[in-house]
Formats: sequence, structure tokens, C-alpha cells
Amino acid sequence: MRNTVVDLFDVVKCYPGVRALDGVSAGFAAGTFSAVMGPSGSGKSTLLHCAAGLDRPDSGQVKLGGHEIGRLREPKLTETRRRLVGFVFQTYNLLDSLSVWHNVLLPQRLAGVRPDRAWAREVVRRVGLSGRENDRPAQLSGGQRQRVALARALAARPEVIFADEPTGALDLATGREVLGLLREAVDELGTTIVMVTHDPAAAAWADRVVFLADGRVVAQLDNPSAEKVAAQMTAVSAR
Amino acid sequence: MIRLAIGSLRRHRGVYAGTFLAAMLAVALLAGAGMLLFSVLTAKPPADRFAAAPLVVSGARQVSVATETVKHKKEGKTKLKRKVKNERLTGAGTLPADLPARIAAVPGVTGVVADAAFPVQVAGPDGMPLRGTDGAPVIGHGWRSAVLTPYQLRSGHPPAHGEAVIDADLAARGRVAVSDTLHVTTRTGEYSVRVSGIAAPAGRDGLAAQGALFLADGDVAAVSGLAGPTAVGVFARPGVELGGVVGDAEVYTGDDRVRADLPGALPDYVGPISIFGFVIGITAFAAVFVLTGTVALGVRQRLRELALLRTAGATPGQLRRLLGLESVVLAALAALPAAPLGIVFARVVAARFRALHAVPAQFSVRVNLPVMLLGALAGVLVTFVAARIAARRSVRIAPTQALTETATAPTGGLVPRVLVALVTTGGATAILTFVPLGGPLGMGMSFVSSALLLCAVAALGPYLVRPLTIAARPLGLAGMLARAEYRRVAALAVPLVLMFGINATMLLNSTLLGKLTEQDQVARDAVATAQVTGPGGLPLSTARRLVATPGVTGAAALLPTRVIAVKGGKPEDYPAQGLLAAGQSALDLDVRSGAYAADGVGASEAMVRQYGWKVGQVVPLWLADGVPVRLRLTMVYARARGFGDLVLPAGLVAAHDPSGLISTVGLRYTPGTAQRLLADFPSLRVTPAVGAAATGDASEQQGAWELMVVISLGFTAIAVVNTSAIATASRRREYADLRLAGATVGQLHRMAGAEALVTVFAGLLLGAAVTGVVVGAFSTAQDGALRWLVDPATYAAMAGGVAVLGLLAGTLPARLLLRRRGLATEA
Repeated sequence: MRNTVVDLFDVVKCYPGVRALDGVSAGFAAGTFSAVMGPSGSGKSTLLHCAAGLDRPDSGQVKLGGHEIGRLREPKLTETRRRLVGFVFQTYNLLDSLSVWHNVLLPQRLAGVRPDRAWAREVVRRVGLSGRENDRPAQLSGGQRQRVALARALAARPEVIFADEPTGALDLATGREVLGLLREAVDELGTTIVMVTHDPAAAAWADRVVFLADGRVVAQLDNPSAEKVAAQMTAVSAR
Repeated sequence: MIRLAIGSLRRHRGVYAGTFLAAMLAVALLAGAGMLLFSVLTAKPPADRFAAAPLVVSGARQVSVATETVKHKKEGKTKLKRKVKNERLTGAGTLPADLPARIAAVPGVTGVVADAAFPVQVAGPDGMPLRGTDGAPVIGHGWRSAVLTPYQLRSGHPPAHGEAVIDADLAARGRVAVSDTLHVTTRTGEYSVRVSGIAAPAGRDGLAAQGALFLADGDVAAVSGLAGPTAVGVFARPGVELGGVVGDAEVYTGDDRVRADLPGALPDYVGPISIFGFVIGITAFAAVFVLTGTVALGVRQRLRELALLRTAGATPGQLRRLLGLESVVLAALAALPAAPLGIVFARVVAARFRALHAVPAQFSVRVNLPVMLLGALAGVLVTFVAARIAARRSVRIAPTQALTETATAPTGGLVPRVLVALVTTGGATAILTFVPLGGPLGMGMSFVSSALLLCAVAALGPYLVRPLTIAARPLGLAGMLARAEYRRVAALAVPLVLMFGINATMLLNSTLLGKLTEQDQVARDAVATAQVTGPGGLPLSTARRLVATPGVTGAAALLPTRVIAVKGGKPEDYPAQGLLAAGQSALDLDVRSGAYAADGVGASEAMVRQYGWKVGQVVPLWLADGVPVRLRLTMVYARARGFGDLVLPAGLVAAHDPSGLISTVGLRYTPGTAQRLLADFPSLRVTPAVGAAATGDASEQQGAWELMVVISLGFTAIAVVNTSAIATASRRREYADLRLAGATVGQLHRMAGAEALVTVFAGLLLGAAVTGVVVGAFSTAQDGALRWLVDPATYAAMAGGVAVLGLLAGTLPARLLLRRRGLATEA
């Protein structure tokens, strides 16, 4: 078994009236592509927020690259997060006022490190946006914007990239291209990716799928196919 | 539609709070300023000295000039057009001495009282000057005038020769009792009179705005120097016609009777009309400017929702109507709290102006519903028009934009922007070039030109600000964002430009005028050895004795007055001086052509330029009591600030000015003379060399200007903070995205700070440009010297204040925004 990059031990997170995470333990190995699935309200987004340090768990431990982040306070938490984590969101979350190129370099600039421009150029080439560096996000299609978001996540060489429904706003073909790029990042660049999705076809691109229901891990599936994921989802939803 | 509009207002409370606030303040200012102007226009004299007399006859209290123009119409017809223009007099002319007797002969007239009214300077037994309520002047009369009000004796007896009765209010203020001795100064000389009694109108101690001193009727002519009565009170049976006997004189009844009183004894509401007119001008401009900007910003914040409505099937026309309706509902709601706020505003401003003596002490704000409604209506109209203009571009947004993450308004509109900028800049240039800014219109016109330039800056805002954001380059990432968001920077910089431009222009110009006036004063008096003044002024006879004192080698006695000249059929009132000069020159007027002559008239360069006069020409003038004179122009002088535009023979002025007292005498004398002067004239003050303060008129005006600056400073400051708050609300998403990209809260604060810095830089630079142009032109027009800063301390304080406010407004809302809520919920 390879080293884990993200570890959750017995994580509990409550929102008023809801126990979103009810003692979740999970580990995500380095250089793997994992998917987190579950019906609406199962806690999969909360899991991602807690694992990525966007939110703090009520109890339990969260380790990122061996660092306990569950108890970190601002601005330490943000500094740790931006060193270790990259994000790809359903809504892209790019800065409209900055060009593609500046968006890609933004996290490193914020971290105050000298941006690795050669690597950033390579990443932009890999996601197929060479020549669009000076465009504004508003001038790009949805798929292209998600590629910018991916390039931005990769450019900082994070320990792990969290992807929250990265294909949720894209059509089927575009979504497949983005998933292909995620897969490529894991296979060729050795990146670790944790992706939250509700789409069995998207989850099938992962090495491993973790199923959540009512804030608990209820099943896991290695080397999934779309059919097996769909069957498992049906079983989970029927519980 | 209205339901949609109200629902939309509810949903966007945040954005609309800003527009609401701006509309509320604008309506409050408009209504308040409107009420001030209304109150001053409809102000009634506080008391009627002629209350007991049903009819009052007096000479005209104004100079009327009629011009007749013949218009040739087609078919050979001609039309005679008669235009009459008036200018109020500061003094009162006298009536023929035999007029009372002629009126008494009219059947039905039961009684006639010849009334004399003349200002007197009175000092009590302790030497302190006696003044009425709120510093009101003391007016002298003959004892028979007492029945016109009527005043009734409370103690003592009517005045005999050398005696006087004063009103109870004066007696209480000066702690004067019957048989005390008063020192009375009039233009005919100085008198000691014994108080024979204390009188008062029924139910009061005295009249508001004037104190009364009654002399024996036989003493009036000698003490006042009046050739006849200033008014005649007539008691008659109803329906009596006096038209046949009074000739040119006016017959007043009812409320109009006060107009027969001495103008100096009534509060002057003419000056305040122009002051409050100006207040309205400034507040209206600032209100419209700020409101337009705020409404436009509010509409821009909602582009996405507008696009969504478009996808839902709304036509651009419907959106326009929706935005228009929203704005009307909003402004109407804002007008509700604004109306009482306007009353408070008007009261506070009136109180300040009263304290500055820019308005009469008796002035009070009268709440008037139609004026308030008009203010509210104006606010609603401005909001509506601003919303429609902002909507004009925004509703053209393509429905598909709703589906993308960010909606941006079509950026067109460069042509109308440039057009507006060209027109306003052209207007400002024309004013600065063609209007004589050195004249009486200078201050107002320089304000108008700076307002026009500000409109140009606002129209071109983004295009002017964009190159300036280059200053943000060294600020790194924050600077990059500021440069990318140059439109936002422009939206925030424009209120700063307004704040700095308008206030600095007004403040610097008024400071400059004050400085120049003081310089002129110092330069005028530099040739004199000493300045002599007396409490309340000294009569011409005393001045003559002063001049004749052995050791005095030169003198210039000044008698301030007002003189009317007629230009293009319109009589205009000018400050003037009566001058009595003897021996060596003790007054340096910087004579440019001609020379002083004891029986001639001198005029300022500005006056000569305006009227096209030449030295040697005979010019027609009207003195303070309305008597016309024709005098030869013998001198043109330059040093007129704080002095007056005309110089006339002192004897002539003394005979026709109501008070007719010398204010100061500049003297040149041999060493040792000062002691003799002090010994011979114990009541006078001898101030060696210079050191006389600027005249009261100038400092009052400066006070009024500074108050106006405070008002507009307050309003523009609120506008800056308000705009900034609205813009920050829209940054919530940008902040969230930056946080997700790894920015710490501290970094976001620094970014907001950097953007605020860039905004302040752009705002100050553009504001300084506007101010520089206007102040430079104004300064050049004054004395040919080009000044930018005028007063570095004032300039730095203004710039510093604007900078601090801009930085606070740019950073505080971000701080509040970032304190709320966790990160994940914003993602």
C-alpha cells in the first residue's frame, strides 16, 4: 500500500439540525485518483471541505501530507492549504478580472513564491490552452474554463487536488475531456486527486470509489466500471 | 409589474440600501435648501413700527429705472415695451417738509405725524455702546413718532430740549436709568443727552431688530441733519384718498407699512437670498451627481439578474420599465424620512448662518409643505432619470449572458461619454475665458466651471482612470487586480474627485480672496502713520478737527456707503467710500489714471471696465437715500478689494448716507503727535501703522463660504463611503474566489488597501487637475498672478482629508465583509 496523502480519522461535522459527517475515516493514497460518491445530502461535499481545510471538523483528525490541519487556525490554515492543496470546482471560481495566465499563477503569487513559469507553461500546454494565455475567463467556453482551473491547480504542484463536481456544469463530451485530463495528471504527473461526483460515468475514471450515505462511509470499490458504480449507488440509495 | 419591482427591491436590500441612503440625503438637502430659500424669500419684517397708523406715506425706498424699447412688428405696427428694474436703497430719502401740512388738509384726515428715522450711535454712562436685541441698531426719532407704534412711557417724562427717551429693552441692556447721561453720535456731531424717561410698546420691552431713542421734536432736525420727514403717519377715516397731495411719494397700508421704515432698521434679506440660492445650487449639483452615480452602480450590480429576466422572456422595454418603477418606489420611500431630515438640515444651517451674521438674527426657517414635496419630487425625478440612463445600456445585455458566470454590460457608449465631456469642458473653458472672474460673479462662476469639469471627469471616468492605474504596478498582485478592475477604481475615484474638486475650489478661492483683500488693505494703509477709529464711527466734524490737529501732515477719512449705478437699464448697488483727504496722501489706492479731486468721483478698474467710463467723463450715480448726482470721473484706482468700487466726496456721502459716520481716519503726523491726539480725543482709538483687520463684510462672506464647504464636504464624504460600500458588496464573490485560490484574510485586506491607494491616487490627481485649472484661472483673473495651491496648509489638509476618507472607505467595508461567515459557504 502506498503512502496516504489525505487521512481522515473519525471526523464529525454538524450543521444546525444536520449531522453531515458522522464519524468518517478514510485515507487517499498518493498518486491515485479517488472518487467520493453518494446521494444528495450524504455529506460528500462536507467531506471534501473538511479534507481540504476549507471547513473545520467538530471532532476527529484530518491529516494533509502528514500535517494535522483539523485544529489549525487562520491564517496558518490558509497557508498550509495553499501549499498542499489545489482545487477544481463545478463553478470554476476563476477571477474574471485576471487573464488565463495570471489565474494559473495566482496561487503561487498569493503564497509569495516565485512562480515556476516553465512548469506553468507546460501545464497550460497539456490542458490544451496554449495561445489563450492572455484571454479573460469570460471569453472562454465552460470546458475551457475548467481546463484553466485544472491548470491552476496543477501549476502549484500540490500534494493533492480536490475536485468538486468538476464536470457538473459541462456537457458530456467536454466533461469526458476534463476527466481524461484529470486521469492523465494522475498517470503521467503522479498527482493525487480526490473528486466528489454524483455521476457514475465520471466516477468510473477513478482508481477507487468511496460511497457515503447519511454522513458515513458505507462502501468502497476498487477499479470501478460505470455499471458497477451505478449498481452500488442504487444499493446505497435504497438503504 | 409593480409587484415585481417591490419584490426585486426586497431581494436586493443590500444594494438598494446605498441608493436609498443617497436618495434620502439628496432629498433632504434639496428640501432643506429649498426651505431656506423659501423662508428668506417670504421673510416678513419682525415688527411694524407704524402699527398704530392706518396709512403711512414715504419716499421710494428703491431706485427704479424704466427702459422703453420699441419693437417693430410686421405690417408696420410698432409695440412699445416698458421694462422697470429696481434696486433697493440702503438709506431713506426725505419728503418735502410741507407735506404733513398738505396731507392734514385733506378732508377725512384726523391726524398727521411727521416721522424722522435716523441711525444713532449711543454709548451708555459707562462708555459701552448700546445695541438692541441681537446687536440691532439704535434708531433715533422725534418724540411725536412714539404714537405711531405706539410707545408709552413707563417712567419719567417726555424729552425736553437736550433730553431723550429710550426703549425699555435698551435701558435694561445698558443698565440705563432715568437721568443718566447718554453719549449720542450722529453724522451731525456728538451730543450728550439726559435720559428723561423709559418707554415701550404695549406688551413688549422694544421692537425686534431696532432699538428706539426719542429726542425732543425740536432737536430732531439739528441732530439728524434731515431736511424733512422720512415718513408721514396718517390717521384718517377709511376710504380717504391721498393720491392727490402726496405726489411721487408712496402710500402704504396694512403689512406694507413697514416698507416706509428706514431700510437699515429692517433685517436685510437680500444678501441671504443669493447665499441660499448658492446653497441650493451646490447641494442640487452634488445631490444629482452623487445620486446618478449611485443609481448607475446599483443597476450594474444586478446585471446577472437582468440577464436572467431576459431569458425568462422579459423584453428590454419591460426591464427599463422595471428599473424605472423600482427607482420611483425607492426614491418615494426615501423621501419619507428625508422630509423631516431636511427640516433639521435647514434649521442647523440657518442657526450657523445666524451665528456668522450672514443672515439677520431674526431669520427663522419656515416649514412649507409644497417646498418639501417639490424637493421630494426632484429627488424622485433625478433617481428615475438616472435609473433610465443606467438601464439604457444594461438592458441590452444578451439573454445568453445569464447562463455564463459573469454578466458584463456592453461597454459601448464611448461616443456619448466623449460628447458629454466635450460639451461640459467647452462650457467650463468658455466661462473661465469670457466671464470676468475678478468681478462679483467670480466665485459663483468659478464654482459652475468646476462643476462642469467634474461632469466631464465623471463622463470619462474609466478612460481617465485607466492610465493612472499604472501607479499600481509596484503593488504586485493587488495592483494587478486594481488595474484589471479599472472600472471599479473609476467608480470609486469619481466621488473622491467630486469631493476634492468642488470643496478645494470653493475653499481655495475664498481663501485667496480673503488674502488678497487683506493684502490690499495693508497696501492701502501702508502710507499712513496711524489709523484712528471711534466706537461706532465718528462724525465728519470730528474728523475735520482731527485733521486740523497740529502735527498732522496728511489724512484720509473714509465713510463707507452704498452707491447705485445703472448698467444697461439695470440699477446695481456697489460698495463705495466717501473720502476726505488732506495734506500728504494717507491712503494708497494704487491710482492708475487721473488723480484724486475733492469734488470728483473715483472708480475701480473693474467698474471702469464694466461701464466703459473714461477719466473726465461725467457719470450718473444714485446715493444711498436715492438722490441722483452727476459727478466727474477724476481717478481710476486698482486697490479696490475690501474697500469699494467708487470714491465720492465725504461731505456728499455724509449728507445722504443714513448713518453718515466716518469709519476710519488714516493719519500721517510728526513724532509726538500721537500723545496730543489721545489727549484731545479721549474716546478715539489710535492704532499706529497697519494692523486694521479686514472689513467685516469680507470675513462674513468667507465664513458663509466655509460653512457651505462644510455642508458639501459632509455630503460628498457620505457619497464616497456609500459608493464604496455598494462596490464592496459586489466584491463578495471575488473575495471568495481569492480565498479559494489560497489568499489569507490578511492578504485580502492588503489588496483592498492597495486598491484604495490606487483609487485615492487617481481621485486626488484628477481632483487636483480640476482644482488647478479653476483656481489658476480665478487667481490669474484677480491680480494676474498664477497660483495653484493658494494656501499650502489648506490644500494639504483638504488632500489629506480626502485621502484618509478614501482609504477608510476602501478598506473598512472589506473588513466588515470578511469578518462574516466561513469560507466553504461562500464557495
